[in-house]
Formats: sequence, structure tokens, C-alpha cells
Amino acid sequence: MNAARTADEVLQQLAQACRGPDRQRQHVPSGLNALDVALPGGGWPSASIVELLPTCHGIGELRLLLPALARITRSERHVALVAPPYIPFAPALLQHGLKLAQLWVIAATSPADALWSTEQLLRCKSFGMVVAWPAQVQDRAVHRLQLAAEAGDSTGFIYRPSAAAREASPAAIRLQLHAHAGVLQVKVLKCRGGRSGALISTPIGTGSLQEHEAVAAPQPSITPVEATGSAG
Amino acid sequence: MLWLCICLPLLPLEALQPRTMETPSVATRRQGNVQWVWCCNAPATQAGLQPGMNLTTAMAAVPGVLALESSDSAQQEAMKRLAAWAYQFSSTVIITPARSRPDDSAPALWLEIGASLRLFGGLRPLITQFEAALEPLGYSYRLGVAPTLEGASALARAGIRKAATTLTALQARLKQLPLQFLLLQTATSQQLMTLGVETTGELQRLAPADLARRFGPELCDYLGRLTGARPDPRPLYRLPPRYHARFEFDSPVMHVDGIAFVLRRLLHEFVGFLRARDTGTQSFTLTLLHREKPHTEIGVRMAAPQRNFEQFLLLTNEHLQRTQTRSGILAMELRADHFAAPSVMNNDLLAGKAEHGDTFNHTIERLTARLGEQGVHGLRAQADHRPEASWAPEHDRRQTTSPSFPVRPPWLLPAPQRLSPSTLPTLISKPERIAAGWWDTADIQRDYFLARTRSGALWWIFQDRRDGSWHLHGLWS
Repeated sequence: MNAARTADEVLQQLAQACRGPDRQRQHVPSGLNALDVALPGGGWPSASIVELLPTCHGIGELRLLLPALARITRSERHVALVAPPYIPFAPALLQHGLKLAQLWVIAATSPADALWSTEQLLRCKSFGMVVAWPAQVQDRAVHRLQLAAEAGDSTGFIYRPSAAAREASPAAIRLQLHAHAGVLQVKVLKCRGGRSGALISTPIGTGSLQEHEAVAAPQPSITPVEATGSAG
Repeated sequence: MLWLCICLPLLPLEALQPRTMETPSVATRRQGNVQWVWCCNAPATQAGLQPGMNLTTAMAAVPGVLALESSDSAQQEAMKRLAAWAYQFSSTVIITPARSRPDDSAPALWLEIGASLRLFGGLRPLITQFEAALEPLGYSYRLGVAPTLEGASALARAGIRKAATTLTALQARLKQLPLQFLLLQTATSQQLMTLGVETTGELQRLAPADLARRFGPELCDYLGRLTGARPDPRPLYRLPPRYHARFEFDSPVMHVDGIAFVLRRLLHEFVGFLRARDTGTQSFTLTLLHREKPHTEIGVRMAAPQRNFEQFLLLTNEHLQRTQTRSGILAMELRADHFAAPSVMNNDLLAGKAEHGDTFNHTIERLTARLGEQGVHGLRAQADHRPEASWAPEHDRRQTTSPSFPVRPPWLLPAPQRLSPSTLPTLISKPERIAAGWWDTADIQRDYFLARTRSGALWWIFQDRRDGSWHLHGLWS
């Protein structure tokens, strides 16, 4: 059974390799110019898994995605939040421009259900972005999600504990999120098709991240740091 | 009239089997104290078993043989399900009543296909489509096509697949047909053998008056119906207004895995029924019957009416995986009472947006089947000052108004979490006073603040003005 599945995965990888790297991916701007510069294609790529590794809750880790999620809900496609750790607060989501009719909340209680739901949603072409907070996730699972995202041409955002930065992951993009002195620091740990190591800072306010930085800091700064090598 | 006869030689056995058997199996029939082998599956035939054998003899010859006592009701249920399924190909369907005569060893089903030929683009495409749909049901069958009912079934029994579309063509095929493929009394065929009559052609050359005198009027009547010389009126099968299918297991099935084969068959037949009525359904109920009540009821619901086998199977399996059966399953029933034209017909017919919407509904249905109604929902904002009342889960996707609010955090805690006054985070805003709900029981009087924790997180906290306690209520994630 396991061997069969592995062989299947290898075949799919091969098929993907044959398709070539220049496969058409859509890119949705993140809303943060500095981050868009760091991401290849100028935004969140479709058919990809993005891992977000925040140090704690409440540092703007969800608002980092809200501009892109809002854009998706205002298009033809839907957005799903799978196993969110708290109640996604409808008044705030409205303030960030999300169209609630295109937003789905999936209350999966077990880790297996959360991953299964995420995979189903990613595979469905009607969903443009799927954001998931699985209690635990392994390499194999991320790989499955990656295949599902390719099948559905969607973007999967997976929140993992910050400690997972030490482990390798097949995700296309890995971002470590860290708050320091009222500033959110986004460190690009891995970026397929781009450079890893970029560090983007933006003040954590109460509005959208972009809007706030216009007031507090004229331009988000992008600082190349010592290349620590791709973590994935 | 052109009849397609589906002869089901192993129906007595297959109506009872929860799966296709690799082991030699036979269906038996009881006469007094003796059990006779009625029909044998392929492995049993290969092992040398034959219909008509005494079961004791058969068991001595093939020790591992699985013997199932045939059940008229199981056979009749299978027949009815098949007839409803077959209705999609023709609105004139005839089935043999259970046990029409003691030596009638092959149950059969007839469809009038003359009127359907144009719809399917000719005989060959019709047969091809028919067989492609029949195959997944898992029955052994033989087909015969002729202008008379008995002619079609004789050809089917003889395994003559070449269709006889006219009476002349039928006559030509019958001429060489050995007598064993006709429905004759055992005594009659034995007497004919001793007379040296071996084929239908030879039988037909005998004078009808002699035949009637010697073998009774039934034989002449049968020969007349076989060749079309006499009319052959039969009651037509009528499609029921509601769907109710039943399968009885010959022994209790202990695990839901054991019903997989039958489930597929039932769902295929159900989809055939929906196609026959040119409709779809938004819900059906699968009942697993146990020796003692309560029975296990599984309600399968869909976002939109449809008749897609794969989707039905997927949703049912999602439910079954979560079903604990307390005791063995004796029988299984599938019911549907309400039908509506499917909003999206076959996936293969429509591309683009329709398919898009279809897969969207399928995905939501799959998730709901696994996680429950409460597990999949939307969100709604409500014009209420109280944070906990300013949102609600949304299940029916109505477009709602978008009330405006002061700035709010993306995460709300399910219930405010009490904070110790000694470890309060740093307050970084003026208070926002929220006093509301005095008109109902959920009265609140709170001062909300932004606060920054040592680890850099931004919290939404409040002080309850009635007792001065501090609470965490939201996070600026």
C-alpha cells in the first residue's frame, strides 16, 4: 500500500518535471510591496503551498494574507479557513475587504480531518486560496497538499509552529514570522524560484499591514541578511 | 416490437451474494426434505457441479462448496431493482414473476427496444451502452434480441447474440436451435428426444394437431408465441413513484466493509432509476437493518439535486466510515421520496462554469458528509455592539448586509479569557466603551483597549466595568 502510494507520488513528480518549470502560475499580490519583490512572480503563486511559521498569535500573521484573500473572494473563486485557532471575526474580515459570501470556515477537530479537508479544498478549482491551521503536519502531508494545490491551481497557506523552521519541508515558500518592538518581521526561509534570506519588516497596527506602514514607516524596508541556506 | 431479453441464469445465487465469489457456490432449492442444486457459479461448474444435483452429493464432490438457499423474495427484489434500472433504456419493461414455473431455471427481463433504437442511434450502440451500464451491477447475463418475447429469451439462453430483427430472421435462427433451449416440460422434451426430434425446426415440422393431442395445448401455444404466430400479452412493469430498494444478506454482515459490493450495486440501480425518470435527488436514506431495533439510518444530503453514481458512493462512504454498527447487518434498504431535476446533469455533457459549480457543490457536500453540518459554514456580520453578537455562522449563504464597525481584531476568542491584573500587557489605546444588551439577558458593560504583550503580540482586552476584572477577547493576528 505504502509502496504503491510512493510510486504514485514519484510518477506524479515525474509528470510534473516533464511539464517543465515554466508552468503558468497565477500570482496574487500580497499587498506588501517589499514582500511581492521577494516573491518570484510578484505575489503569492498559485499551485503552491506556502508555510507560515509565526512565533505567537496576534502579530499580524493572518493580516499578512488578508489583502490576497480579499482579492480572491471578490473574484469568482472562494476562500476557506480550515481549523482556525480562534473565531475568524466577521466584522474585522469585512473591514479588510473580504466578501463573506465567498468565505468558508471548516471546523475540523482532528488533525487528520483538517489535512483531509485542506486537500479536498485545494483540489477543488472553485477555491483559490485555502488557509489551514493543522495541529500537526508532516512532510508527506505537505507533499500531498502540494499535489492537490497543483491539481486545483490554488494556493495553500499552512500555519505551523515556529519550531518547524528547523525541519525541511517540500513547501514552495516558507516564511518565518516574528514580532519585535511593534514590528512584524517576515523572514523568507525558502522560496522556490527566488532567493531565500530576504527580511521584510512592517509595523503591527490594527488596520491592514500596508495601510499602517504608510503612516508609521514610509516604506517597508527590505534587508538582505546572511544567506543561511534554504531550510527546505 | 423488438425485444431485448436479459437472461439471468445465476440470479438465484447473485441475488443473495454480497460479493462476487471466487469459491464454488451454488443456490439451492428445497423440495420436501431434499435440497437440490438450482444454479452454480463458474468455479462450481468447473468443479463438476450441475443444476439438479442433490446438495449432499454436491457437497461430497466439492467439500468447500458454499450453498445458499435460494430466496424468492430476494430474487424478486433484485428483479424489481433491475427493472427500475432498465427503465432508462425503454419504457416497456417486462419481468418474469418469481417462480413462474418450477422448471423455469432462468429468470429474465425484457425491454422493448424498437422504439428506443433511434434515440440510441441504432441497435449496436444501444447494446453497447446497455452492457456498459449493466456490467457494474455484477450480474451474470446473456442477451437475445428478437421480435417475440419467447424468441428473444430462447436466443439469450442459447447464447446467440446475433439479433433477429424480423420474424423471418428469427425463424431462420430457431430452425437449428436444439430443443434444450426451449421452455419445455421435462417429460415433453424426453418424449420428443425418443421420437428423434432434436431441433426446433424438426419440432415445427410436426402437425400441430398431433402435437396438441400428444403433449397438450400448452406446447402449441408456446410454439405460437415463440414464432410470433400467437399474441403474447404480459403485464408491464410500472416505475414506482418513490424509490425503495432492498437487499437481504444470507447471513449477518458484521462489518460495513462487507456491504461495499452490494452498496455499489444498489447505487448503480438507483442512478438508473433516476435516469429512467429523468430526474435527480437531493437526499436519500440508506438503512442498515439489524436483528434488533434501532436500525442504522444514514441520511445522505446534497447541495443540489443530482444523479451521479460516483458522488453518491463517495458521500455514502464518508458516512459509513463514521458509522458504528452495533450488531450484524441483515439487510440493507435504499429509499428516496423526493425528486427534482438535477441542476447540473452529467459532468461530461457540460464543461466550463457548470462543471465549476458542480465540483464546488461536490466538495462542500463531501466536507459536510465527513465533518457534519456544523463543521462547514460561512460567516455573517450582524449589527450589534456586543462583539460576541456581531458575528454568526452562516449556513444558507444568503447575501447579507455589511454593517460597519469600529476597528476590530481578526481573531475573536470563543469566550473572553480572564487575565490576572498582575500580568496585564501594556495598554496602548484609549478605551472603547461598549455597553449594550441591557434589553436582553446578555448585558455587557466593558471598556476595550489595545494592548501589546512582551512577545510583541497585539491583544484586544477589556475591563468589565461591573467588577473591574480584565479579559482577553481578541487578537490582532
